[in-house]
Amino acid sequence: MLNMPFMRLKKVDISYKLENASVKAVRSFSCDIEKGDIVGIVGESGSGKSTLALGIMRLLPPNALLSAEIMSFDGKNILNLNQDELRRIRWKEISIVFQKAMNALSPVHKIFTQMYDVITAHSSDIPKGRAYKMLTELFGKINLPSKVLNMYPHELSGGMMQRVMIAMSLIHNPKMIIFDEVTTALDVITQGQLLDEIKRLVKEFGLTAIIITHDIGVVNEVCNKVAVMYAGELLEYGRVKDVIFSPLHPYTKALVKSHPDLRIGNELIKGIPGSLPDLTYPSKGCIFYPRCDVRLDLCKDVKPKISVLGDHIVKCHRIQG
Amino acid sequence: MERILEAKRLKKYYPIRKIGRRSYVKAVDNISFSVEKGEILGILGESGCGKTTLGRVITRLETENGGDIFFLGNNISGINYRKMKNFRQKMQVIFQNPYDSFDPRMTIIKSLETPMKLLNIGQSKKNRIEIIRDAMEKAKLTPAYDYLERYPHELSGGQLQRISMLRSMLLKPSFLVADECVSMLDASVRAEVLNMLLQFRSELETSILFITHDISVAKYMCDRIMVIYAGKVMEIADAKELISNPMHPYTKALISYSPTISPQKERERFTIAGEVVTPIDPPPGCRFASRCPFAKGICRTEEPEMKEISPGHFVACHLID
Repeated sequence: MLNMPFMRLKKVDISYKLENASVKAVRSFSCDIEKGDIVGIVGESGSGKSTLALGIMRLLPPNALLSAEIMSFDGKNILNLNQDELRRIRWKEISIVFQKAMNALSPVHKIFTQMYDVITAHSSDIPKGRAYKMLTELFGKINLPSKVLNMYPHELSGGMMQRVMIAMSLIHNPKMIIFDEVTTALDVITQGQLLDEIKRLVKEFGLTAIIITHDIGVVNEVCNKVAVMYAGELLEYGRVKDVIFSPLHPYTKALVKSHPDLRIGNELIKGIPGSLPDLTYPSKGCIFYPRCDVRLDLCKDVKPKISVLGDHIVKCHRIQG
Repeated sequence: MERILEAKRLKKYYPIRKIGRRSYVKAVDNISFSVEKGEILGILGESGCGKTTLGRVITRLETENGGDIFFLGNNISGINYRKMKNFRQKMQVIFQNPYDSFDPRMTIIKSLETPMKLLNIGQSKKNRIEIIRDAMEKAKLTPAYDYLERYPHELSGGQLQRISMLRSMLLKPSFLVADECVSMLDASVRAEVLNMLLQFRSELETSILFITHDISVAKYMCDRIMVIYAGKVMEIADAKELISNPMHPYTKALISYSPTISPQKERERFTIAGEVVTPIDPPPGCRFASRCPFAKGICRTEEPEMKEISPGHFVACHLID
């Protein structure tokens, strides 16, 4: 595949089948990610951002249905891989770090045992002694003392556990890491330290990263590109400085206005009245129509097309490109 | 100005069992402050710093181990449950998770009406329902009948949190503790809840103790901010002053690590290492000394006194003269 970006997602749809309905969690999501990008996917709860991450990793629960026109990664089509092929990709090519490190680690095994498990998943011939050395070195890179290897998860703080998970995701030198709300449960200072480390690691290991978060502040701190999701749809995508400092979509504008900020003056913050639409119904017009304060009559029934303005993508009838 | 609440040398120690000796978590240790009429005082700190304990002790949901609490001129420390009842109406609390603070088997109207009935507000049930309706219309929870007959689980977190605020405010309290009241809400909803709280404050002149871990939210909401770390006050000042001119190294770190959406990138980061400590039998000296990049000998042996460095700006740090 020539001239393909590092990762291309085109018209990704994910829905969850329920007893007598189906929730369309991700709707026709398309975006390109270049090598070395740190892409933030920002959205509120229920916007489908975590579902999308699970979809890329193909870790969706059995009742989920994934379809896409294109889902390619590093020149490979990753849409129709079978379980065996997927296993070869996970950890090695793409890895994922989840929000709740506590739940991602086994409570009854020492950290080393769990890390060794991941090592042997892809290179079974590494003896324990060498693995230990390797891990000590890796831990040094993310500010973890090597004694952590001999500890159980409950002995660690939230920040340390999250670091262990990040170390684990780095073991096989993947090309891409997805960070799913990794700093959400952490304290401000711990979050800041971790974000600094993520930024450094991405450079050091030559990674491409997707950072899923609900906090546009976090996006501004670490990402160079940002995708704004709402109710499963991508509404705006582009460079952080374009999207956050001069947003085009009414939803992004409202999101920025609802964010109290430490370093920006004392403007009144404003909420977005209304709530997320019912995701079991397909939307006819613009998905944000019911809550939009600049909506047109057109928006109710006609789905906006994606307007491309350079590398800034917007899905809104008011924007022509 | 009228002083609504004053806490003097407040202490709350939790005993923990350790073999051979008794240890204490000094969750709130010698904290003094006061709240004026109509003032919002922010309590800012990371998890485990004792901010929630402080709120619970102030409202006498927990019994203090020492110190005095003056509320509307009365010393309420150590008074029994029955006497405390006289103050409950004037002292309300809003918690983080509204689903936990409503009885799941009561309709909203019942949850709102019962406390009014118990405190003899309104002449009849009809009258009380009228008052509730008016309040809901004013708080833009419209149409009111749409909410009143519902159960808590049928409402979204933001709606329910606003109703929980309304429930407190119907009692016209003089003092309100808001404990992380927007932490589980999405950005678009959070703004509405915060603005509603500000509106209540200006209408009823209620004093608010606003407990939060988010310095950006604290800046938006509060008149003054008190920073606490491991059960001790580090710094207290006017909100604007604290953020533009932080003196304590811990406050500096908190500000520096908070994510922001301001365009000026590449800020100088004030870095500190390590993570939050739990004050179990804390050693003498400053609680922050173990993480402070400037700690001197004296910081580990002597506890710093609160010093007033400019009118209303107090810091507990040996490094500041």
